[in-house]
Amino acid sequence: MTPELSAYAARLRGLMAVSPPAISPAQFDRLALELFALQFQSNPAYRKICEARGQTPATVQHWSQIPALPTAAFKDLDLTCLAPTERTTVFHSSGTTEQRPSRHWHGMESLAVYEASLTAWFLENVPPDLRFAIADLRLICLTPPPSLVPHSSLVHMFDVVRREYALPASVFTGQLDAAGSWTLDFTSVYNQLTAAIQSRQQVILLGTAFSFVHLLDFLAIKDLVFNLPEGSLVMETGGYKNRSRILPKSGLHALITERLGVPREQILCEYGMSELSSQAYDGGARSLRLEASGSSTPSPKPQAPSRFSFPPWARAQILSPETGQGVGEGETGLIRILDLANVFSVLAVQTEDLGVRRGDGFELIGRAQLAEPRGCSLMNA
Amino acid sequence: MNLPAYFLADLPPEAALTPAMVNAACDTLRRNRAKYLLPRSTESMIALLCEVASDWLQPENRFRRLALELGPAETGFSAAVLQSGLDAFFREFTPGNFRRLLAQEVGGALCVTGDDWRAGRESVPAPHASSPAPGYWRGPELLVHIAAGNIPNPSLMSLTLGLLTRSAQFMKCASGAALLPRLFAHSIYHADPKLGACLELAAWRGGNRELEGALFAHADCVTATGSDETLAAVRAQLPSRVRFLGYGHKVSFGFVAREVLREEEIASVISRAADDIVAWNQQGCLSPHVLYVEERGAVESDQFAQRLAVELAQRELAAPRGAIATEEAARIDSQRAIYETIAAHRADAKIWASANSTAWTVVFEHEVTFRFSPLNRFIFVKPVPDLPAVLRGVDELHGRVSTVGLAASPAKAAELAREFAHWGVPRICPLGRMQSPPLTWRHDGRPALGDLILWTDIEL
Repeated sequence: MTPELSAYAARLRGLMAVSPPAISPAQFDRLALELFALQFQSNPAYRKICEARGQTPATVQHWSQIPALPTAAFKDLDLTCLAPTERTTVFHSSGTTEQRPSRHWHGMESLAVYEASLTAWFLENVPPDLRFAIADLRLICLTPPPSLVPHSSLVHMFDVVRREYALPASVFTGQLDAAGSWTLDFTSVYNQLTAAIQSRQQVILLGTAFSFVHLLDFLAIKDLVFNLPEGSLVMETGGYKNRSRILPKSGLHALITERLGVPREQILCEYGMSELSSQAYDGGARSLRLEASGSSTPSPKPQAPSRFSFPPWARAQILSPETGQGVGEGETGLIRILDLANVFSVLAVQTEDLGVRRGDGFELIGRAQLAEPRGCSLMNA
Repeated sequence: MNLPAYFLADLPPEAALTPAMVNAACDTLRRNRAKYLLPRSTESMIALLCEVASDWLQPENRFRRLALELGPAETGFSAAVLQSGLDAFFREFTPGNFRRLLAQEVGGALCVTGDDWRAGRESVPAPHASSPAPGYWRGPELLVHIAAGNIPNPSLMSLTLGLLTRSAQFMKCASGAALLPRLFAHSIYHADPKLGACLELAAWRGGNRELEGALFAHADCVTATGSDETLAAVRAQLPSRVRFLGYGHKVSFGFVAREVLREEEIASVISRAADDIVAWNQQGCLSPHVLYVEERGAVESDQFAQRLAVELAQRELAAPRGAIATEEAARIDSQRAIYETIAAHRADAKIWASANSTAWTVVFEHEVTFRFSPLNRFIFVKPVPDLPAVLRGVDELHGRVSTVGLAASPAKAAELAREFAHWGVPRICPLGRMQSPPLTWRHDGRPALGDLILWTDIEL
């Protein structure tokens, strides 16, 4: 870690603290090229790959040319500018089948950027009346607590949200089973939801898609329907990772509305990964604002095409896997993210996720599975 | 397409199939079989199939031209890939090859329908003419095929075997993958309308319980090709009296022994390796994912990989791969990104790839463990010290390997073949022939024709 990176991190946090956040395209380009040059100096593993590709600060002219590393590279390489003694935290990629998870190293300063980024963009995406700590709010996380899963960036994020709200009534209702898989303490969730309804507290319910499926299946079996107080918010994230049956997004949201009484416009979808420090959101308050301002007759369609958007300090590119060039509006490609908040690791990350380009954002299609060409199922065996 | 509507698969896409249509088709097939197919001798069926194949090999043949014109859009394969794949397939159709197949699968025995068994004359020369007839064989009355969607040859072979067994046949094609089976069936119809009337083809998305329930109720024997899930789903729907032959997906690899890695032979070896990678763009179970190359040849294994990359670049000019789905390209792109990263950090790992496209990729790495390729001309070249290292590398693939393509001196090849056979590989062929199995190929180690037929033993 260098003083230059520390100064950069401090400057970026300053930009994140502005609400609503705004970074001009030219400013973004300058910030990205500056950070690339710093990481090229301080991240030997990254520099080696850039040099092998012949893409260095001397040749890269625009942020879109900055060499991106595949998320898989985080499995094999220590992609960090932090000296070993500075690495206080590490986030691992999730998934039960991962033999070697990704490792994204963090220290005090990088966590501070991570937390500033997630807080600012989370608050920007929740409804205005949930933006400030209010006494009658109950936060329920359908994940294990950070003490059980210290390497989960998602749970860390939930914990930061919890700290931000400084709520006494917040709880993690997940557990770990003997195999290390995430499970739900249904009794705890039930008690929490019941208590919220009795005391008419708005609820923020955070969880992974599979944890919601577990919960909804439980509610279906018990034939339970909750009608959470008006204004309650659901945030779901992540894939299923073979931990539950898979529901299409619209089906999952319909069940959430049916069983928990939370309408579609109060359901927020998050797209994030351990290799990034910023998250993208779909739905929620900001989307509705954009929709309303975008046309004189706001469309009430609940199933408008979904669109994930990153904060202004991160950009998603949708690239044709065939040519490596950006795709046109409405076309499908691989999602590449340039995240300035990855100050101390690698700012440009190539995901294995496919997305449809929607303006500056994208509609998520999901992972392009390896080696299942046209129905070959050996990988599933 | 300018083809008459002989088959359900010829109907316009908006025409909805109903169980009643499937029932009617199966009834018609049975009647037509009794009238037209049962009286036919094995020899006449061989003659017909060879005639049809010979027609397909003519450049002006109507069905061939339609396949090459419409195939690229319908199948994703370029005309060059289709042409060489179909030519290799139809060239196998010779009277000699069919007789070898029958000799292998039924010995000298006669088909109880059609062959002149009452006269006791053998229409097919038996390998041991003096031995008594072991009995008579017959094919299933109604043979149903659930065809896979990746490459056409297995479907065409299924129809061919069904004609040999004189079965009425109903082929359910994967949706969007009916073109080549249709053209082949039309070519049979064209050559002999009565035999064409004993075939039915239809396409629908697998898992349609109504249509499949109707179809399976008529079937005597069902063959299915596809994923393990597909096979399990088909098997679960079958009435218990129906015989089931499932062909799951398999993988294949190549092995290049060090004696052929010398300047005099290397060009030929590289060319044959490229043949196997380019054939059907690696989509079939017989295509190699990995080439194991012995170290310490006169041409070193990384040189082999580099020359293979040059060859694949040239093949792309001569026989372009063609467009692939975004998701398939994404798999290639993701794998390339990983290996570019590895190659930047390890001197012993290398990657060569087509520029501005995913047309071809060669990855060279020392890790011997078998890797699943994203296919579409993406090959792993892995140096190995010896054969035991290969067997360690493929250890987890027991029972899932289809073919090993060998490049070795004749003496070494025989020895290697024994070792691979002992390990359980069901097919070992020369490199360059992996996607062109002979008619006598025992599919996944099982007799392809022999599994279809039933016997009457004569113990007199």
